[in-house]
Amino acid sequence: MGCSSSSPAAVKGSGRLQTTSQPDVLDSKNLRIKLVLLGDSGVGKSCILLRFVRGQFDPSSKVTVGASFLSQTINLQDSTIKFEIWDTAGQERYSSLAPLYYRGASAAVVVYDITNPETFLKAQFWVKELQKHGNPDIVMALVGNKADLESEREVSREEALAYAESNGMFFIETSAKTADNVNQLFEEIAKRLPRGQSSLSRN
Amino acid sequence: MENVDMFNAATATLTFHDFLDRMRHPQAVDLVKSIKSFIVEFMSRTPDPDKDSESVQSFLTTTEGAFGAHPLFVNATDEELDSAGEGLEKYLMTKLFSRAFAPVSEEKEHDKKLSEKMAILQQFIRPEHLDIPPKFDESSLLFAQKELLKINTYKAPRDKLVCILNCCRVINNLLLNVSIGSKDNPPGADDFLPVLIYVVIKANPPQLNSNLLYINRYRHHSRLVSEAAYFYTNIVSAEHFIDNLEATSLSMDSSEFEKQMQSAIALLDANLSAQPSVTAKHSSVSEDNTLKSAEHDSPSASTQSVIKLEPGLTVHKEDQVESPVLPADSIASAVSAESVPPGSKASGSSDKDTMTVAKLEALGLPDVLEADKTGQLARDYPYLYASAGDLKVMDVEGLLADYKEIVLKYAALYKAVQGMGSATGNRRTSSPLLDISESSGILQTAAEFQNTKESASPDEKFVLGEDKAPAREEPSEVKTDGGVQDLFEGLNLLNNPTDRPHSPSLEHVTVQGHSPDHSTRETAGGQCEEVEPNYDVAATDVGASDITKH
Repeated sequence: MGCSSSSPAAVKGSGRLQTTSQPDVLDSKNLRIKLVLLGDSGVGKSCILLRFVRGQFDPSSKVTVGASFLSQTINLQDSTIKFEIWDTAGQERYSSLAPLYYRGASAAVVVYDITNPETFLKAQFWVKELQKHGNPDIVMALVGNKADLESEREVSREEALAYAESNGMFFIETSAKTADNVNQLFEEIAKRLPRGQSSLSRN
Repeated sequence: MENVDMFNAATATLTFHDFLDRMRHPQAVDLVKSIKSFIVEFMSRTPDPDKDSESVQSFLTTTEGAFGAHPLFVNATDEELDSAGEGLEKYLMTKLFSRAFAPVSEEKEHDKKLSEKMAILQQFIRPEHLDIPPKFDESSLLFAQKELLKINTYKAPRDKLVCILNCCRVINNLLLNVSIGSKDNPPGADDFLPVLIYVVIKANPPQLNSNLLYINRYRHHSRLVSEAAYFYTNIVSAEHFIDNLEATSLSMDSSEFEKQMQSAIALLDANLSAQPSVTAKHSSVSEDNTLKSAEHDSPSASTQSVIKLEPGLTVHKEDQVESPVLPADSIASAVSAESVPPGSKASGSSDKDTMTVAKLEALGLPDVLEADKTGQLARDYPYLYASAGDLKVMDVEGLLADYKEIVLKYAALYKAVQGMGSATGNRRTSSPLLDISESSGILQTAAEFQNTKESASPDEKFVLGEDKAPAREEPSEVKTDGGVQDLFEGLNLLNNPTDRPHSPSLEHVTVQGHSPDHSTRETAGGQCEEVEPNYDVAATDVGASDITKH
């Protein structure tokens, strides 16, 4: 069930995505975004993360401590956005620790597994929690992962879409395995980020 | 200002020396004056953690801002300015440490409770209780524990943070190795956090809560960001989890949990009452440990405090010695130091009697037998009962490193105990020497030398707590230090993370670059160690005369 290893050649997606090796210097057009990944364990959070970041793996990248924190810079029109992605442990026993992670996050990606309805319920739990305790301006995305497993689908696209819309969220189904929609997910978040807010920008 | 670079050992050492160098410049007079007066003012205030943090944070912001506009930093690159900021933070917090670390009794109490809880939990907790997959080679987690246990060796918030990052790095590399060998998902937070929690419980680092609070309060907020912030958050999470841990937190039957808790408590109590003399001696060891670790880091800066800031240092020393919160009175200290060879336990005991190594060993033996009976020994030293056939090729590196470390530590201990047994009076002769140098500023070099030697091999502190052990002043012991340094040099050799980002080699895993300054010092070898302090003394002298002039 592991996500297949990514090699640059195998990655679909837009040519607009670029890794920059010099993310240090930020100006008003260059944002640094804390993005938190929430979702039950086993839904493929880490696969999505690796797909996004390693899809255009830059060997000179200095990010090294581990794969649960990764950063990736994308260019969008005339600005660059550096996502700093915080993965969280999805097991139930660590639920109460989540606020430590999503505190101060500008974006949240809530992931469930389309073949597992329980993970969709858990996703709704996270959405509620973020609405209650998260940053009020937080940009949220609901992500149904494992879209390649259509034959085992148990959460309908319509149901999830309706839920997302009623909660003002962006919805997308991804496959970390085939990399479908992974880059689109992050680009869409980038577009939705409120601009010119001090909370988003370092400088 | 990507933090990753700043954690590079070589950069960090240069950074700090560069900072001291600049402060020695005549043009730095106004900066030095303002830094010194901030220190004096801070040290004289009654502790108030929130206010203290705020005032340090804003002083750092202001002063770093002033750097940018200062003639001293004309033409300085952003990078150099960042370095100067790091240097300032390290200098400042080394000076303020005694007053800023664990400043109020509630926090000390919290440390004690947490440590006691971990001492109990570590008796019976197994990876599967946190759903950590069994494919994990548990003994390799000892490396992660070792990194974390270094945290009390340092005073600067950055250095403490680096210990945490190193611990996380070791865990991540192990996870990566496991996942490469299987078809599983790449390791993410689902895999990482449970292992970190397990490692923290097993390591039971003294004063964990205080360390975390201290980092959050005094690491400049502009630098507690990104990756560092993420892994800092993880260890804070781990601490929360352990703090609130109850039967339902683990994959374990709750009646079984209660039973295990009770028997672990009983076992610890039994150990304490069965061996009162040894227990008392544990205390003295731990106290020395803490005393030493507090004084121990950044030779340059602490030397300066020896010579310059007498009041601060005096307060500090007394503080550390008297402080009731030291792991001394926590059961934990008896159990926590995984790497301490059994014989070393009572090494502080020669305070009273003439001790021989044999006597000490006999004293520790019942403990060891007890630990053997309960299986603790086998858990702490996974290879103890291994036969040659059990070993895998990948074990060899780790085993060899452990073996060398144990041999050197034991040899050092043996000599130290011999020295104590034959000449208890040496302790007396050494202290006045230090006192003189502290109060009058004469004999700087002697004090200097002493400091350097202590700081040169941070890992030893877990065994050789007695910073006053006369042996440490004798040349032969210096040699032993060198031996241990050499070992760690060996371990730290491959310290450039960009060379081989994901090496499967354990040896590499252990070090991988983010080592606090000391590794550079070790790598640089003995000669460098004698040169550096002098360099710092020079810096100190100028700084001193600056201060007195103004």
